Amino acid sequence: MHNWQRTLRTNWLYSLILIFLIAFPFLVGWLTDSSPFGARGRPVGQSTFWQALLIETFILAILAMSYNLMFGFTGVISFGHALFFGLGGYIMAIFLEKASLGPDSGMIVGLVAGLIITGILGFVIGLVSLRLRGVYFAMFTLAIAEMFYILFLRLPATGSEDGFSIAQVPEWLNPTRSRLSYYYVTLLLLVLTFLLLRRLISSPTGAVLLAIRENESRAQTIGYNTLTFKLLAITLAGMLAALAGMLSVILNKKVGPEMLAVSYTVDPLLMTIIGGIGTFSGPVIGAAGLHLSDRLLRDSQFTIGGTVVKIGESWPLILGISFIVVVLIFPHGVVGTWAQWRTRRQMKAASGAGRSAVPQPKAEGSSSTT
Amino acid sequence: MQGILSASRRTSLIAVVVITAVFLGFSLLTARDLGSFGITLISGLFQGMLLFLVASGLSIIFGLMDVLNFAQGTYFMIGAYIAYTIHHAPLLIQAVPDGNLRFVIAALGATAGGAVLGVILERGLLRPLYSRPIFQIVMTFGVATVLTEIAKYIWGTTGQTWREPFGFRQGVFEVFGQNFSTYRLFVIAIGLILIVAIALLLRRTRIGIIIRAGVEDSQMVEALGINVRMVFTLVFTLGCAIAAFGGAIAAPFLGATPSMGSEFLLASIAVVVLGGLGSYEGTAIGSLLVGLAVAAVAQFGATQGQFMSEFVKTFIPPTVWPALMPMALLIAILLVRPSGLFGKQE
Repeated sequence: MHNWQRTLRTNWLYSLILIFLIAFPFLVGWLTDSSPFGARGRPVGQSTFWQALLIETFILAILAMSYNLMFGFTGVISFGHALFFGLGGYIMAIFLEKASLGPDSGMIVGLVAGLIITGILGFVIGLVSLRLRGVYFAMFTLAIAEMFYILFLRLPATGSEDGFSIAQVPEWLNPTRSRLSYYYVTLLLLVLTFLLLRRLISSPTGAVLLAIRENESRAQTIGYNTLTFKLLAITLAGMLAALAGMLSVILNKKVGPEMLAVSYTVDPLLMTIIGGIGTFSGPVIGAAGLHLSDRLLRDSQFTIGGTVVKIGESWPLILGISFIVVVLIFPHGVVGTWAQWRTRRQMKAASGAGRSAVPQPKAEGSSSTT
Repeated sequence: MQGILSASRRTSLIAVVVITAVFLGFSLLTARDLGSFGITLISGLFQGMLLFLVASGLSIIFGLMDVLNFAQGTYFMIGAYIAYTIHHAPLLIQAVPDGNLRFVIAALGATAGGAVLGVILERGLLRPLYSRPIFQIVMTFGVATVLTEIAKYIWGTTGQTWREPFGFRQGVFEVFGQNFSTYRLFVIAIGLILIVAIALLLRRTRIGIIIRAGVEDSQMVEALGINVRMVFTLVFTLGCAIAAFGGAIAAPFLGATPSMGSEFLLASIAVVVLGGLGSYEGTAIGSLLVGLAVAAVAQFGATQGQFMSEFVKTFIPPTVWPALMPMALLIAILLVRPSGLFGKQE
């Protein structure tokens, strides 16, 4: 009982957010007088609209968290993350649509096959390329992802640049007919991913990953085979990204080569940096901030003195400017800067107001435990 | 000079010669006649030079400052737009009727514009970020987005095609019974001049020595009393100006479109990496190598593609081969040499 209480006390914010997210579809339904189940099997009304928006956000958050496992916790920058996202999506789509297994078993086989294939692929790519350092590794992964992108762009078997759409998905999580259950499935997977990463990073294995990030040759000198640990990180990150890709395919009922394009690497990268590198909540906050503002502001318009200003046309401009501003204002991402500010305040309070010399907390150290 | 060549450098040079010979021999064997081989050769050099125009700035900026400038392609695009605007300005057409001279003015204007934008980016936005290299990615990415949007706002989203004829662009010359536009030759010549000029700047001038020393160890250079920050600004400006100049040179062929920057960016980063980070000659050789490989493989696919097995034709159609070449070459080279052709060995 005591242990349970302590967990709840340290994670009260996460618990509150989780309860809020669970209640969210009903909350919106109650506020806007719309049914969270849609009407007659069709997604009608505000509640289902918001569910779709949040499902997209959850999927992107899983993608960003998987990226953060390599980028933020292991210190390995990959530019080829879209490969796993897109490939996972393609495998799921092929098993759902082209394998004629029926929706339920197709999805299960697709899930298992997708995770295994992307896992093996991540392992093999890591095996041949992890001895490359820094930008060389980043470019190697980018090159492989780009080759897949170019291939799928021209491959007639998978519908070339149009991709193909999926007629049947399992009825119980069909995003058009029973969106609410799909909402809870993606939320559950988001929470599981979050817990998995927290468990992993606080385990001895995670400690080695952090050590590799801080100083790889030192971790090697202590006696760890750093390649093994980096392989673990890239394989697991690849599988989680593939999971995100599969979820995205089921949501959109469509797959296309754009899922392999470099933007699905750059987006999680930006989400992670803006949210906070090497933090647990940073990628989720980054994904939510970027995606929700993107979807909500893009179509909105406002009136200044009689002239209607549509955000949609100038949205990329606003996005670009906000990147620049965020980088200048939040030197360690949103979560990292917040954690640093809080630590500094606590230290100031502890050392007394009279003393002005406050030791600067190290950014990486303080952010890694958030 | 022979003594200076280290063993690994010599292997790299031999590798380059061998790869080039393979691709050239390959295209010579599969060509229908000498004329089509000539076309392959010229178009390979031409594409290589276009790549070099973006990659050279990227290379010297990354070499000295460790900044992977995602906005480099955007400067290429801005250069193309500025050159287009100057060349097609009605006032200037009246004042300078000679197309060639007007193109020179346009290219100079584009270069100046790129330099100004480069100074603004380095001084204003990148300077606070030298201690946080990861955030430079977000910053240069943000700048690229903003500049692209501004370009769309000024010049429209659809892009511009070059309308005004001028001497370099219209002329034709004949090799092996095939006609070539002199413009291709002009671009190749400009590229060669640029390669030599930058090499001379880096090898023979005082500022070049400082830059090369800075690539090796910028803290040591600073300890010697040289204002490295000033050199950073200079190099960054130079890199952006070269990219804009490249855009101006390429504009008569490619036109000016908002997406041309990002199209060239990935391939030129690949070129810089396969040549070896921090190695200027690596970038130059890498650009030409990739250009030749793309052209040779395009020709091979066109003439021999139909004889491939059904499996290859279904899963790797010959029309895709040229597009795959830059990345395939990068992967192959990195597998054999983990720090590129001429990069520093760790």
